Amino acid sequence: MARVSKGLAIISLCALALTACAKTDEPGAAPSPGQQRGPVRIGVSLPLTGDFSEPGKGIQEGYQVWADRVNAKGGLLGRKVELIFRDDASDPNRVSSDYESLITQDKVDLVFGPFSSRLVIPAAKVAESYGMLFVEPAGAAAEVFEQGFKRLFYAAPAIAGDHYDYLSDYLTQLPADQRPKTAAYASLDDPFAQGTAYGLRDKLAAAGIKTVVDEVYPPETTDFAPIAAKIAAAKPDLVVGGTQFEDSVGLVRALQELKVQPKLAAFSTGPTLAEFPAAVKGAAEHVISPVGWSATATFTGNQDLVKRYKEMFGGDANEDAANGYTVGQIVEAAVAAAQCADPSKECQDKLTAHIGQATFDTVVGPLSFDDKGRPEQAHMIQQYVNGKVEIVLPEQAKTAGIVYPKKPW
Amino acid sequence: MSLLAQGLALGVLTGGLYALLASGLSLYFGVMRVVMVAHPAFLFLAAYLTYTAHTVFGVDPFLALPVTVPLFFALGVAVQRLLIARLAPENVAMMSVLLTFGLALTIEGLLGTFYTGSYKSISMDYATRSLTVAGVHLPYDKIIAFLVAALTLGVLFAVLVKSRFGQALRATIQHREAARLVGIPTERVAGHGFGVGLATAAAGGTVLALITPFFPASHWVWIGKLMAVIVVGGLGSVTGAALAAVLLGVVEGVVLVTVDATWATMMFYVFLFLALLVRPQGFFGGRLAHRF
Repeated sequence: MARVSKGLAIISLCALALTACAKTDEPGAAPSPGQQRGPVRIGVSLPLTGDFSEPGKGIQEGYQVWADRVNAKGGLLGRKVELIFRDDASDPNRVSSDYESLITQDKVDLVFGPFSSRLVIPAAKVAESYGMLFVEPAGAAAEVFEQGFKRLFYAAPAIAGDHYDYLSDYLTQLPADQRPKTAAYASLDDPFAQGTAYGLRDKLAAAGIKTVVDEVYPPETTDFAPIAAKIAAAKPDLVVGGTQFEDSVGLVRALQELKVQPKLAAFSTGPTLAEFPAAVKGAAEHVISPVGWSATATFTGNQDLVKRYKEMFGGDANEDAANGYTVGQIVEAAVAAAQCADPSKECQDKLTAHIGQATFDTVVGPLSFDDKGRPEQAHMIQQYVNGKVEIVLPEQAKTAGIVYPKKPW
Repeated sequence: MSLLAQGLALGVLTGGLYALLASGLSLYFGVMRVVMVAHPAFLFLAAYLTYTAHTVFGVDPFLALPVTVPLFFALGVAVQRLLIARLAPENVAMMSVLLTFGLALTIEGLLGTFYTGSYKSISMDYATRSLTVAGVHLPYDKIIAFLVAALTLGVLFAVLVKSRFGQALRATIQHREAARLVGIPTERVAGHGFGVGLATAAAGGTVLALITPFFPASHWVWIGKLMAVIVVGGLGSVTGAALAAVLLGVVEGVVLVTVDATWATMMFYVFLFLALLVRPQGFFGGRLAHRF
């Protein structure tokens, strides 16, 4: 019921917005001085309910921490930052209409991206059609960068396919007698999750590590035991999961139940969440995961983020919050360089051009982008060692040595 | 071959779980012609309550049942008497979808408010071990789920067949006007029937909490599966739903190990379409719930 009436409200709002624009919209018109002195209004639609509510809230918190810091030191170009949030309920249709109304009706000065490739693509289409810069915290799938977007930038170290790069380098450089021979892959049917697992699969397969199981499961999957049974029958050296959270836990539990003991187990996303060790009990030990951000890193602003987050929300910051914060840092730097923050084509063009060629110091390290908006860096590799999350790869960032082969779970 | 046996065994155990989760749905439809979209949301409400009992009081998840089962029974009676009984009788099926959809959203929103959107899970020591019989691994958590399902369905069945309340309930299901003529207070019986349905959700939720991590929106993936189970089983037939659940569990398990997970999930809908095309009354039930 709620959904229906909300939908009607959105439709009527959109209709209103359209009629309102018909007369007043003059693209490129310089904003009046009165508007200039008002706050910089930033429009964001996020999945605050539904499937992606958890990461959606994390990113919202990241944006809020960033805005809090910027406002504490006087705002953007002396103007306070005001964030306008919409909830798209993880629905790709809703996300389009949200950005549509944020841009045309609320006339926001800037927009920030939503969570997940599935929502980023429809959202970026709208932003692109209005010529708005679109820096986004969580659209890492290859498809995002194949849409011909000119104003999209992904504010994280690497796209999905490159997440495991340090791990594949490590494994393929092991001496021949220690190198794993077979690997099993199970991935959620999701462009990001598959991207991470397949990036590793293709690199390992090219190095002669045989793929013995390659399973894709739909998001509705609730029972992982039969998938684990297939993996058990193949007795692989490596088990790699292209996962989110529930499925990573489901797979770890099912693999234990079916007595699969690989030499290395790697899962995307799940193990990077604080809930993971409790959900799988002792089995987290030596589980590996690519991670774009670390609470202990000393990159620009990182310790401030960790501290401010704790003050504002009580808990520990996570990667989603860090990704949101990174978006803020990049746009902040671009605004400072372009000396403008308004929706005019001229200003948005300047911001876009700056981000396209500059390198930014962010909480996830220095970031730069290629011509499709892809970040050009790589993810770190984390591992649970003695119950603690340690960065084990690459060499220059590591806090502990990688443990391979892992202990049985 | 051993892989096939493994898939089969896991399928039977999972089917038991499906039977438990779907039994309430069958009952609502039988009693009231109500399509209860909120049933999975109530399952996860029970899962969250179990989680609270487990983390705050440190008790075994199953010890929460003596509290949650009566609570859910009362909740079911309240939902039926206060909400569903007020729907216009001529289009109850349609309106109940809307009403219970709203209920599901309300529960999801409340869970999000009180428990936040982060994942919760209960991991007991036995949840990751398994019993090995002739090379086939039977996970303990699935065995427990199966046993709880068997027990709950057994009790449910005994209540429906043996007790006076069960007879009144079945009479209400078969012919409401006639039941009223012989003096059965059909309104009250229907309320209690709904309560019994929701009580099964309390048991199902506890089992779910043991085998999977959950967050407020977890219930959506279960609606399709459970609806497929009760349609294939024959709407309103509790036994039919149980048989269909085990059948679909086995088909899912076997297809998963022999083909892949996408086809395995699709099997629910393949069977749903087959049932609608070939046998709309369901493969195991009588004509629209007129029989048990």
